[in-house]
Amino acid sequence: MTRISPYPAALRRAIIAPLLAALSLALFAAAALAQGDAFDRQSPPMDPREAFALEVEPQPDGSRLLRWDIAEGYYLYRDYLSAETGDGATLPLETEPGITQDDPTFGTVEVYFQEAEARIGPVQGPVHVTYQGCQDGGICYPPVTDTLPAIEAAAAPAAGADPAAPAPAPAPAEETVAEQASGGGITLAEDSGLLDGLSARGGPILVLAGFFGFGLLLAFTPCVFPMFPILAGLLAGQDGTVGARRGALLSGVYVLAMAAAFGLLGLIAAWSGQNLQLVLQSPWAVGVVAVIFVALALSMFGLYEMRLPQAWTARLSGVGAGRGGTLGGAAALGFTSALIMGPCVTAPLAGALLYIARTGDAWLGAGALFALGLGQGVPLLIAGTFGARMLPRAGAWMEGVKAAFGVVFLGMAIWLGGRLLPGPAVLALWAALLLGAGVFIGGLDRLEPGSGAAPRLRKTAGLAAILVAVFMGLGAAAGGQDPMRPLAGLRPAAAAPGPASDEIAFTPVASVPELDAALAQADGPAMIYVTADWCVTCKVIDRRLWPDPAVREALADTTLIAADLSEFDTAGQALLDHLGSVGPPTMVFLDAAGREAPGSRLIGEPGVEEVVASARAIR
Amino acid sequence: MTKLTRRTALTGGLLALGGTALWTATRPSAQAQDGAMHPTIEEVMFDPANPVLGNPEGDVTIVEFFDYQCPYCKSNHPVLKEVVEADGNVRLVMKDWPIFGAPSVRAAQLALGAASLDSYLTANDALMATEGRLDETLIEETLTEAGLDVAALDAAYRENRSTWDGLLTRNSAQAAAFHLRGTPAFIIGTAIYPGAMDKAGLENAVATARG
Repeated sequence: MTRISPYPAALRRAIIAPLLAALSLALFAAAALAQGDAFDRQSPPMDPREAFALEVEPQPDGSRLLRWDIAEGYYLYRDYLSAETGDGATLPLETEPGITQDDPTFGTVEVYFQEAEARIGPVQGPVHVTYQGCQDGGICYPPVTDTLPAIEAAAAPAAGADPAAPAPAPAPAEETVAEQASGGGITLAEDSGLLDGLSARGGPILVLAGFFGFGLLLAFTPCVFPMFPILAGLLAGQDGTVGARRGALLSGVYVLAMAAAFGLLGLIAAWSGQNLQLVLQSPWAVGVVAVIFVALALSMFGLYEMRLPQAWTARLSGVGAGRGGTLGGAAALGFTSALIMGPCVTAPLAGALLYIARTGDAWLGAGALFALGLGQGVPLLIAGTFGARMLPRAGAWMEGVKAAFGVVFLGMAIWLGGRLLPGPAVLALWAALLLGAGVFIGGLDRLEPGSGAAPRLRKTAGLAAILVAVFMGLGAAAGGQDPMRPLAGLRPAAAAPGPASDEIAFTPVASVPELDAALAQADGPAMIYVTADWCVTCKVIDRRLWPDPAVREALADTTLIAADLSEFDTAGQALLDHLGSVGPPTMVFLDAAGREAPGSRLIGEPGVEEVVASARAIR
Repeated sequence: MTKLTRRTALTGGLLALGGTALWTATRPSAQAQDGAMHPTIEEVMFDPANPVLGNPEGDVTIVEFFDYQCPYCKSNHPVLKEVVEADGNVRLVMKDWPIFGAPSVRAAQLALGAASLDSYLTANDALMATEGRLDETLIEETLTEAGLDVAALDAAYRENRSTWDGLLTRNSAQAAAFHLRGTPAFIIGTAIYPGAMDKAGLENAVATARG
């Protein structure tokens, strides 16, 4: 009669419960058809401790947080929750209001479905917790009583047999309990040791130099590509020639401002103790930057001159050679540029923030990030200096260049907006942008019979852009997502199974105990993906990375756990600390023994190859 | 009051559990402490103290472990009675297993007191027809409305207190020994059926018991 489920309640809820729900729906339908024959018999009741899986989180202040994970189709009575000390004194329980059942057979009772929580204040010695519930429509359980071991001044092992015995001495037993409860499941790789090593060996100078080097390396990643057009747009926006000195000055200011922005981020992060990446991932910040890009683009198209107020420019230009408005613009652009690189620089930023958090040295952290920004700016400086010199004299072509940058800026805005908008909408925006670009280039202009190569090439380019725009427009209409494969949505369903069926399935966890429970269930490698609703980069990852066949194959035998920080509370912060992560998106790869593979951690928006490589590292 | 009684019930359950464990370990010497023994089906179905409803001479016994506050016991009760009446040859043994605390125990005590006064059926019917949770006042009102004298019931219960308390203790012990999950739980023939049962389920179970 007894049915022992091999799955813990959390997993059951995540995977089995929907199945059961679907099954019972089918059974209900069948039962209705069969006029209620043998079909509507309830599934045999579970063991009450399984149906109401109790988890206890000892809090630092000596109180306890009790959490019941209630199986689907079962409920717990609020009124029948109680707690007593070892010698029988009733303990007050803080509970949340439940759902009021007003069914005639229930009467008016408050019950909990899915989950119940209760808090017991600090108390000495062991605690007996009693709870009672029913299988909905089936059976009501007698009260279940669990004895929770003492916190801090824990009962000696021998006293465990007699809960009434006074707790004699603090015992190490509790520590092991706490460890089991909060964490020892996983071992994080000591990767951030690079920073520690740097500061141990050479002090702050080496740290700064190291970060400068990091920045320089970063400059050769695609992350910095968006910066080139911005800077070039800035230089092209000048009316007149741009000499090497002027170019160097402008790009120098730009780079300094960018580095200063990074430095400020570091400083603020250290001061506030808050995770800046979290802020920078907010749809709000991304939205604002996208709007700035649209504004910049419109300015490039000549709709208006974007200048700081005369008074500001006068003051700001006093620093430079006396030419108006541009240095301030460079500084402002540089400052905001630091923000748009968000996802790409998450990795070093995360490292720096971890470092700051660990040392508590705000200035060193700020300096390190400043150095990172400077390193990243070196190629920009060079391009600004020599690229500007190589630019031909000003003329009508300048308008063309500005317009091109306008298009690029709009593209940046769409790229950023892609983090916030649904895929087809983004595709439609790309289509509109390319269509406009194609028309403006002259794709639809009439060619004179005697035209030379240049106009014909222009027309070709314009037509090509229009053609791609048409594809993208079609793709958007067909619900496509990926600008690189706009027509993927048009493929027959047989070739591309629906996204619902082949989506990578993550077990969601929101706290350390939930994570431990999920990991306990994993009998092989596991990957923990730190994500959140409000993390815009995560949306991109969800859309681009997880559906990728290579990624799916590499992670096929891996337990996938999503550490969901959508509701960022203390449990979420504890989860982040536990994983040694600063925030989403982060991927932690654990081998079968629960150890993080060295160098496998991915922060930010990694490529397919990186994910595959990290997944291999834990095989 | 609530706490005390609940703990008493709990102790009974734990004792019974202890008895079961002991029985499993040392089966030949089936005797466990405090007289708790692994019960046989006979002992469950033919406990001399327990009132019998339906046809006392019936060839099949339906045993229901129930609680007067258990929502599914009560919603299931009309169906159960209908099946028992329609069959005409079924003994119905309602075994009190108060799991919902003091009001359940109180209801059981008064109903068992009614058994001494030959009005168990009236008391049981009235209490099973209540809606939702009970308290002392509601129990007394219900029984009074059914034409019973609560003071007399209480006196009758107290008069045979050792019998009734012994019955309640045995019921709990039996529930534990048979690993019943909760209420309602039916034992029909030699099979245990956890949870509420519909008409067809009951009829099939009776048919199965007849072989």
